[in-house]
Amino acid sequence: MNGLMGIGFFSLLSNQSWFAEWGGKIYNAWINMNGWKLFLNGLKVTLGVSAVAVIIGVAIGFILALMKLTEAKKGKRTVLSTLAGIYIDIIRGTPSLVQLFIMYFIVFKSHMSLMAGMLAFGLNSGAYVAEIIRGGILSVNKGQMEAGRSLGLSYGMTMRYVIVPQAIKTILPALGNEFIVLVKETSVISFIGVVDIMKSGQFLISRTYEPFVPYISIAVVYYVIIKILSLLLNAFERRLRRNDTR
Amino acid sequence: MIHVKNLHKHFGKLKVLNGIDIHIKKGECVCVIGPSGSGKSTFLRCLNLLEVPTDGEIIIDGINATDKKTNIDTFRRDVGMVFQQFNLFPNLNIIDNVTLAPVKLGILSKQEAEKKGMELLERVGVGSKAKNYPTQLSGGQQQRVAIARALCMSPNVMLFDEPTSALDPEMVGEVLDVMKQLAEEGMTMVVVTHEMGFAREVADRVVFMDGGVIVEEGYPRDVFGNPQNERTKAFLSKVL
Amino acid sequence: MKKFGKVVAVMMTAVMLLSGCGGTTGTSTENGTSSGLPAKVVVGTNAEFPPFEYMDDNGQPDGFDMALIKEVGKRAGFEVEIKNMDFDALLMSMSTGGIDMVIAGMTATEEKEKQVDFSDPYFDAKQVIIVKQDNNEIKTFDDLSGKKVAVQQGTTGDLSVTEGDPTCVVNGVDVKRMNKGADAVVDLINGGVDAVVIDLLPAKEFVEAHPDDIKIVEDNAVVEHYAIAMPKGSDELKKAVNDALASIKEDGTLDQLKEQYDATETVNK
Repeated sequence: MNGLMGIGFFSLLSNQSWFAEWGGKIYNAWINMNGWKLFLNGLKVTLGVSAVAVIIGVAIGFILALMKLTEAKKGKRTVLSTLAGIYIDIIRGTPSLVQLFIMYFIVFKSHMSLMAGMLAFGLNSGAYVAEIIRGGILSVNKGQMEAGRSLGLSYGMTMRYVIVPQAIKTILPALGNEFIVLVKETSVISFIGVVDIMKSGQFLISRTYEPFVPYISIAVVYYVIIKILSLLLNAFERRLRRNDTR
Repeated sequence: MIHVKNLHKHFGKLKVLNGIDIHIKKGECVCVIGPSGSGKSTFLRCLNLLEVPTDGEIIIDGINATDKKTNIDTFRRDVGMVFQQFNLFPNLNIIDNVTLAPVKLGILSKQEAEKKGMELLERVGVGSKAKNYPTQLSGGQQQRVAIARALCMSPNVMLFDEPTSALDPEMVGEVLDVMKQLAEEGMTMVVVTHEMGFAREVADRVVFMDGGVIVEEGYPRDVFGNPQNERTKAFLSKVL
Repeated sequence: MKKFGKVVAVMMTAVMLLSGCGGTTGTSTENGTSSGLPAKVVVGTNAEFPPFEYMDDNGQPDGFDMALIKEVGKRAGFEVEIKNMDFDALLMSMSTGGIDMVIAGMTATEEKEKQVDFSDPYFDAKQVIIVKQDNNEIKTFDDLSGKKVAVQQGTTGDLSVTEGDPTCVVNGVDVKRMNKGADAVVDLINGGVDAVVIDLLPAKEFVEAHPDDIKIVEDNAVVEHYAIAMPKGSDELKKAVNDALASIKEDGTLDQLKEQYDATETVNK
């Protein structure tokens, strides 16, 4: 019994040293090693890469969606829809890390790693965005297109004035989700030597030989970005719905 | 006015229309009746090419719709259509629903279109709802808006695809009244309907379709009062 | 605390390890031998560092380090189990008790010595520069200033060109840190960087694979000593390992292993 009490006391002591140890680790990583500066720079890179990739992704996704929709319009496969289908299939069927490596090591020949990363993520995201846009447009009742066409509006005009405004309500939330996925996905850019949040943390680990503080820090920074992003998206969605009582 | 010659429509192996020939005069109101699956809706949808005919010819107002060179969008401006499910645009308010096509197609200015649209909405009895959105209206009101929307393009022909089938019974009358008024004003109308009372009262001609062909046609009093064909008799005995 | 016997064993070990610096004893002490040494030691490595450690044709870790640690185990009397993982994860894994020892061509530095105990050195490794065949501009580490240099993150090569690091030998280098040495070399061959700083031995392997593209530039600015890492306070284990290393050195086995695995210490040998 004495022995057990001794252990209780010992673990209490070691708990206190546990605090001291962690305080020291956090101080070392964030202040001593200039971790906060590294993370700040990493944050800029992550946000920059994500933002550019999103823009590329939406542009590519929109074009791919239009290509795929020629199938719905004609009622049968078209050259464009087949090409878009193959693209989407390949992108979805391969890991984004592999796509990134191909883009960086083979296409860009180890040059402009930041650009290679943005493009790789943008092309990747485009495939998913295309499916989101296509799904949103096909979710609009078929009768809407018929009504527009029966009034003499062209396919494009009906799309623009009737279908897309309705589809956007389905598309935007899903698109927001895709952005969030994309921001997290960009962490693999560290594999090609770009110093994003992930790489900043890994740099700290390689210098402090202590993984806990950097990895927890990485997680916290990502969590905060995503939280802010989803709050913004939610607010946006609410506004969208308020303008829309029907 | 409307000439349909040897109209065929196949969906893959399914032959829905098997040779329709009909001539509809200007100002005539034709009601198409028949059992479900008889091809009457497909026939109507072929008239403005929502369904592309497999074979045959459709000429409306001298324009050959089945000719590949014909601009279908321009052709459709003169052929209004009213759907079973109304198909109003939920993203637009009532007046915008009515004025969208004439304004975007450059046929009327925004002001002209709104003036005309308001007149039409008043005429069909929903003028007070101009700024509301479709889902705020009852089914009967929505269908009357749909009629006004089609009329705002000043069509020469109006096609009605079971316009009252999706309505609660108490709202059927208000829609039929609008259609009756339209017929009396001399609009050329083709109406696919299950409302035998309307057909009997308003139609200049009743067409009975079954199996993708016109089985019998004639004055309402003849078709309803003294049907010649066995299939017509069988159908009418069930619905009347 | 499920088993009282285990508690006693842990306490006894703690007493035996003396002083309150809190030695984290590995899980394998459960099977402790009479000498206090574990019967089995889990050794972590990163099998991407030929010829020290690499995957053989059967996907098993092999190499100079692997042969050496097995010989050490044989002479010290413990069984060796190899665990392969990321280089960066090795010391973390040891601190959490996942592995008991690290042999991964790891340099004994003062910085690391704050976290772990090192055995006596068993190999002198030189950092070299790999450049393109046609590059005659870079001859020493000093020439790397203002150049774009790829390294494997966290390696000695990385530290030696990172401004502000205690072991840095040249300032003003634009460092690109890759997760793998091979990726750094691909960057060089692709022309994305001007040079790669890396250990001599992997450098030789890389140059042998691409003799027309790249060459080694030798400079004695950075020489370091490889040692086996153990958790802080593993005095007994450390002594046993050092004794074994000494005997391996003495009877010529070490040189024999170096020869066998082509683990040479200069370029031209």
